[in-house]
Amino acid sequence: MHRPDLDNRRLTLLVGATVAAIALYFVVLPRMPEAWRTPGSPELYLMGVTGAVLLLTAASFSIAKRGRGLGSPVAWFAAHVNLACLGSLCIAIHSVGYMRRPPALLILALLGLAALGVWARIWGAKRMAATLGTKRPGFAAPDPALRARLQALIEQKRDLLTRLDPSAEEALFSPNLSHWLGHPLLALAYLRLVREEEALIGVRESVGRAQAWWRAAHLALAGLFVIGLVIHVVTVTFFAGYVADGGEIYWWHLTKW
Amino acid sequence: MSRLSLMLDLERCIGCKSCEAACKQEHGLGPGEFRNRVVWLGDENEAALDFLTVTCQHCERPACLRACPVNPKAISKDPETGVVSVDESLCTGCGECVTACPYGAMGYDPRGHHAVKCDLCSDRRSEGLGPACASVCPGRAISFGERSDHLAQAEAEGRMVRDHDSFLLGPATVYLDRIGETSNAAALPERRRPAVVDPPEAQTAFEKNGAAFPYGLPREDRKPDRVVPGSCTLCFNSCSVKFHFAGEKLVKVTGNDEDPILEGRVCPKSQHTLQMYHNDRRLTQPLKRVGARGEGKFKPISWEQAFTEIAAKIGPLRESEPEALGIFAGTRTGMITIRGFIRLFGQMWGTPNVETTDPFCAAGKNLTYQLTHGANGCGNSYTDDDIGSAGMYLYIGDNQAETRPVYFGMVNNWRVKNRTPMVVVDPRFSATASKADRWHAIRPGTDMALGMAMAQHILANDLHDKRYCEDWVEGWERWRDFLDEEGYTPDWAAGITDISAEDIRRLAEEVATADGCVIFCSRGVNQHTNSAQTNRVLMFLAAITGNWGRKGGAYMNMSFAPELWANAPEQRRAEIRKPKIRKSPAGWTEAMIQGKPYSLKALIAGNNPMAQWPNQERTREAFKALDLLVHIDLFQNETSAFADYVLPAAPAIEAGDIGRACDDRRIVWVDRMIDPPGEAKPDSWIWTELGKRFGFDDVMKDEYKDTALFWDQEMINHPTMNGVTQKRLHSTPYRWVRFPVTSETADEQETLFLEGTTAAGAPDGFRFNTQNGKLQFWTEELDAKFRTMGLSALPSFYSEREQLIDLPYVQIEEGDDADGIVSPFYPNTLAVPGRIVSPNEETPGRKLRREGYDMELVTGRPPAPHFHSWTHYFWQSQEMWPDLYAQIHPDKAATLWLEDGDRVRIETSHGDIEARAWITPGIRRSSIFVPIGWGEKQPYHPWRSVNFMTDKTQRDPISDQTNLKTLLCRVAKV
Repeated sequence: MHRPDLDNRRLTLLVGATVAAIALYFVVLPRMPEAWRTPGSPELYLMGVTGAVLLLTAASFSIAKRGRGLGSPVAWFAAHVNLACLGSLCIAIHSVGYMRRPPALLILALLGLAALGVWARIWGAKRMAATLGTKRPGFAAPDPALRARLQALIEQKRDLLTRLDPSAEEALFSPNLSHWLGHPLLALAYLRLVREEEALIGVRESVGRAQAWWRAAHLALAGLFVIGLVIHVVTVTFFAGYVADGGEIYWWHLTKW
Repeated sequence: MSRLSLMLDLERCIGCKSCEAACKQEHGLGPGEFRNRVVWLGDENEAALDFLTVTCQHCERPACLRACPVNPKAISKDPETGVVSVDESLCTGCGECVTACPYGAMGYDPRGHHAVKCDLCSDRRSEGLGPACASVCPGRAISFGERSDHLAQAEAEGRMVRDHDSFLLGPATVYLDRIGETSNAAALPERRRPAVVDPPEAQTAFEKNGAAFPYGLPREDRKPDRVVPGSCTLCFNSCSVKFHFAGEKLVKVTGNDEDPILEGRVCPKSQHTLQMYHNDRRLTQPLKRVGARGEGKFKPISWEQAFTEIAAKIGPLRESEPEALGIFAGTRTGMITIRGFIRLFGQMWGTPNVETTDPFCAAGKNLTYQLTHGANGCGNSYTDDDIGSAGMYLYIGDNQAETRPVYFGMVNNWRVKNRTPMVVVDPRFSATASKADRWHAIRPGTDMALGMAMAQHILANDLHDKRYCEDWVEGWERWRDFLDEEGYTPDWAAGITDISAEDIRRLAEEVATADGCVIFCSRGVNQHTNSAQTNRVLMFLAAITGNWGRKGGAYMNMSFAPELWANAPEQRRAEIRKPKIRKSPAGWTEAMIQGKPYSLKALIAGNNPMAQWPNQERTREAFKALDLLVHIDLFQNETSAFADYVLPAAPAIEAGDIGRACDDRRIVWVDRMIDPPGEAKPDSWIWTELGKRFGFDDVMKDEYKDTALFWDQEMINHPTMNGVTQKRLHSTPYRWVRFPVTSETADEQETLFLEGTTAAGAPDGFRFNTQNGKLQFWTEELDAKFRTMGLSALPSFYSEREQLIDLPYVQIEEGDDADGIVSPFYPNTLAVPGRIVSPNEETPGRKLRREGYDMELVTGRPPAPHFHSWTHYFWQSQEMWPDLYAQIHPDKAATLWLEDGDRVRIETSHGDIEARAWITPGIRRSSIFVPIGWGEKQPYHPWRSVNFMTDKTQRDPISDQTNLKTLLCRVAKV
């Protein structure tokens, strides 16, 4: 079976090429035409829009893999990385290295996302591989009190599931995109129970912190990035006056609030 | 269908990791990638060792499945069988399943970035087979079937099933707890994994140095189209295996499930030999040294040039001093080469200096088996009726679980099934000891005292088998009286052995009263300066209790050497002008350096003496002094670096050979199945071609490069081997014949030397192959021989000269440069007598203790995946046990501020090495154990050989065996 995996070598090359391209851009930046040194110029505005679209598409991997029939999750992952690299390059160019205003936080978020992603793929993968055989609590003598609490939780989940997805079996169920779209509150409630069960089992404590939390951190950072991106688009489009802070408004906008 | 599952028996698992190897092989898994793992678990406070096989539990509520964020999920559960599997094409590699599984049973492919997991070998199941892990397990610790059947079987056998459903996940896998554990509060989860076992950091070496075919290949490319039975040729278990080929490529090595005895059991290293046949580091053409000795600089040359130049260099020796050529062979060289081609070459050349690793491993027991009953080993077999029927198993200095894991798996299986008592006497709590009812942490080098005291107690209390002694033992009364006169009682031995007199008496009584006791001994007894006498004492112990020549009772010191010898016609043998320098090659070094007792100028080594010979500093000096060193091997190693010429050899299926000499007399044939890589050639070819340069080809015929032909025509001329023909070997699907068989149609014998039988090759009615058909304890003739060497046929106690307490030891009168005398024990071989010395102010042990050498160094074999140096070229053996380690007691470690896994320096008065500390209460407080096999030129995790610390001068005057087991040392944190 063919599996379109992005191997470590290609990932390293891709990320390295992106970093090199950004570095090259900043080297030649002083010699670039004025328009390529002004973030809001039509050229860089378009660059920003392109970057945002690419990154949002990359972020949609998270949704696509949860939605049945939206293509191969592995191909989506490869697209996620490729688009993220390309989008990051566009955003870096769009920023012209201007780091003293709040949008710079988006650049930092991108850096964090990239760092977490690369770590997970290259180093985290080794930790995941080395996890087999390292957990002992599963083989410990059962604690009746814990089992009682878990039994109660399972009952709660089963009860909730009759409303969230009556055809589903608790033993094999976790909410997917359709559940989140159809019954977001029930899905959230179910997720809370899942987290509670994980806490009782000690799932996150069973591995090292980095391995336990990198994905949560990656998702959280991606969420913050998307929110920041929306704020940035809204402010430059509708609050151009606020963004210009008394200066010239030279970018496309709708209102000057 | 009911839920399918594995049943894992913690009592039967011996920690060999064969299941890991089988799983990796079956599924083409690479470094760091696992679907199952055998976790070694020790304890910080008590001597304990458990082996927990972690694999998918196929839960009713699989946490992994629920954690998978992909839709449809990459993990699914078969509604009929309950088998949980992963669809790698859907997995994005987020690792949530790995985190979610509380059993730590999810695997992950770190290169392919996806989850991997046990699916109970769905591909094999579709072909009607069971999981690969269960098919190979030496201990039958893994069984596969319906869960309900497992539970019923456990109940029927009175075994406790571990409740490990702490989190209401409904695991299907059944774990049978250790026998004797009364509740699920057993300590398993609190046990600690030693830092040196499966360390993740070891993976870096494989990233740098790669892993070999066929790992990572798609299943369809690994699908075999032909299967050929044969033998593993690595160790003394001589397991029958099957070689699976896709076209001309070997793609899999499995146990031979058609073998009626071994039934497909096989250890990991047999399976790892796949990496011997597909290995980028294999030597593929002859090399000639161009740098300094030891520097390792070579240029490739043709075979023609190699032979021409070698012949030109050794040719002149043949005329003037043929004995100046030495030949050293051993483990790697192969039985047919050693006993056939090298023997013929040596006979026609005219050198007596041909030797193997025997004097480092087994010379003491080989010699004394001959002295005592006139044959080369024990006559028992690993069958239900024989060893399986024993009333007791006693292991002294034999860690069979790691040295012959398949045999031990069988013994342990019988132990569990029949509830047979097992006692282990060993300075450390080995894998073997972990299965025993009792472990006695004996002081190394004092097994003779234990044996004497047990025998004295038995004889003094009339617990011996009187009829057996009267009928079948020569000189037993004399020995009984001698034990009494010398006062070799349990009270006397207690202070020497560190085993209480009460325990010695108890052990003696158990052996005497058991309905058959198999006393297993091995290198722990052999590798001492008292090797011959200790072996004799323990043989006598077995004999007086009737455990010799019966089913279920034996003295089993591993491997029965077959009488396989090719011989050149008398008229073609060159005159041997001088006796052999010494039995042990360790005694050849002064001949190389000083030319005394006479010069040894050239050496052809088919093995790795730069890791094996004791006192490596002196060995290297000696090798530098040689005019010519030719090294024949598979890989470049420490010896290659010193060689003038390195010749690329070919093992087993590239050559055609038999397995090693094994415990139960099976000769297992392996056909030549594939060509060697590049220009590499079988040893038979190399020796034949070299022989041609000296006109030996009328005897070492070209057609004999076909080893099967050579076998039939030259190798099986001894009466005990006449029936082991190619025809007979090929008449079974498992390719072995158990000798002795005097003709092609003669029946094999399960147990030799039974009362009422005649020993093979002995006069009618002679039960044993001795002069009078009786076991020989003491005769005048025997005593005269011993006295020639300064000892007596009635063994007096002595131990090693480097001990933490004052004990008598043997002092060899002169060094290896002395002419000595011709040994009465080995034909035409020089030896130097010794004398037993009582400790005094000048005793070496005392002096060393004053200098701060405060620990006993014990060396020995590493765990099952390794054997000598060649497995260190197999990435998978190295992945399992990468680093040289030193087992050390926590009390000692605390004084050195050592943490588990720290690097330590171990120093004897002969040299030092470094290793990683394995802190365990499973060793005497005063001992440190370091395994053999590592070398500084190995590709993945190189470490200096333990033989930098050993001493070539400490040898047994009788057998010339070197003491490798008791040397005073001191340890420091690096």
